[in-house]
Amino acid sequence: MNYFFGLKSNFFTSQITVPRFQNRGDANLNYNLYELSIENYLWSIKKLENLEINDDFFLITKDKIDNDKIFFLATEKDLNNFDKSKLTKLNSFTDSIPSYRANLKINLKGGGFSSYQSEYPHNMTLKKGTILSSVSSMANLDAEKNYVIIKNIFTEPIKEKFNIFFVDINNKKILDNVEIQTNYTNLIEINKSLIKPEIFLVTDKYIGIPIFISEKKLHLSFEHTHPPHEYILSDDKFIKITELKREINEIIN
Amino acid sequence: MKSLISKIANTNIGIKIRNSLGFRPIPISFRGVIKSSVSDAFCWRTDSNFSTIFKYTDILNLFYKIDNSYVEFHFYTNKNKLIKRLKFNNLNYSNSLTIDSKLLNGIKDYGTFYIYHFSDQKIKNNTIIANRCYLGYSKNKQLHSFVHGNVLAKFKNLNNLKGKQQNSLDIIKTSYINNGNYKIQNYFKDFDKTELFFANPTSEKIEFLIGKNKYILLKGCSKIIETTNQNSINIKSNCLFLRPTIFNYKNEFIDVYHG
Repeated sequence: MNYFFGLKSNFFTSQITVPRFQNRGDANLNYNLYELSIENYLWSIKKLENLEINDDFFLITKDKIDNDKIFFLATEKDLNNFDKSKLTKLNSFTDSIPSYRANLKINLKGGGFSSYQSEYPHNMTLKKGTILSSVSSMANLDAEKNYVIIKNIFTEPIKEKFNIFFVDINNKKILDNVEIQTNYTNLIEINKSLIKPEIFLVTDKYIGIPIFISEKKLHLSFEHTHPPHEYILSDDKFIKITELKREINEIIN
Repeated sequence: MKSLISKIANTNIGIKIRNSLGFRPIPISFRGVIKSSVSDAFCWRTDSNFSTIFKYTDILNLFYKIDNSYVEFHFYTNKNKLIKRLKFNNLNYSNSLTIDSKLLNGIKDYGTFYIYHFSDQKIKNNTIIANRCYLGYSKNKQLHSFVHGNVLAKFKNLNNLKGKQQNSLDIIKTSYINNGNYKIQNYFKDFDKTELFFANPTSEKIEFLIGKNKYILLKGCSKIIETTNQNSINIKSNCLFLRPTIFNYKNEFIDVYHG
């Protein structure tokens, strides 16, 4: 089961085009679109109405998007298992290979646009841990501005602070850190001095999806990064990644 | 008897029959891939005033602490003709390569390229790495629009040893009929035009259909298909994992992402 999310900021607006079909199949019109947000330390659910473009797509427009809202597809019947105290897997409609994704598009006010096929898998909401992502792989020295979004969705309806660090792994030094929060679309501007091959973005406590934005002359680029386990296909992947994360955790701790 | 059937069912022909019948189909398999660097079939563009930036990680250093590794790039035309090979030593953790017509002997076109990581150090047999990387596409010298790799395609031995297996074994599997179906999960009506870049990730001829239009891609070939004003795009193919890289155009802006 996948969740979808957007971004609201002073610089960008966003919209989400949610398909009503699996990528190998036909549309299933029994699935509605629901919105989740946190109220009084509980998950609050709301059905979204009249968002159909047609039988194939829902469109979540900028006025419906906030940084603490998430969206998902479910049938009326699925909601019998909805739990206010934690995110629960309600169906498997969005479990597919390749992954079931919505298009998350950002627009620059008065300028261009960029998008990527986006999803936040339910099993990620159950985990705590560390993000590890190279800054210069995606941030662009040629751009006027670079940002990174860290989207976290955690199963419990909590808004807890945690940290994102910019770490020089050659010199084993923290160069900058910013406080961000769980169950939120966090937007952080990246200083150009941090765009170097040896600098990695790392979080403590919680995982999430890092998505980079670059901006120049009203043009935009927007793309998520790979988690480290995508680089290793052999059985030693978790050993190698754990070793690297341990090394980096020693720097941030 | 059971193990003999299982062995036959997992041969190339066995998998193709299973995929054709839809019986426990296997779109992707790493069976037989050992000690390898796997590459996507990446798209380079120098046509229509495009240039491409490619960003890649030194995986062997970052994860395996092998500090003398090197990479090779193999560039091909869209007709699968080798343009050139490039080798880079002294890698950083993160590296980039600008691909313009000057790099590609003056060619203004599009095609595929592959990146392989190699080391002269002894590497365990069970090690398989894949650099999914990030590609930025710039049109008319504007900001690069970034996207990551889209489809695993070829592999080479991590110690750069030649083997028959790497030329004959496909990671992406095919079928005898066009029963692979992939509907891109986005809405395409709002754009001036859309271009879909397809690369054949297999060593066989593949066919695909978009609507009523049929296309053929020979081994290693690639193709850009232009479409406009589509509600959705459905791809039927005998290749069971065929996802395009998408270029959407609106006014002077472009947006590139994987399907």
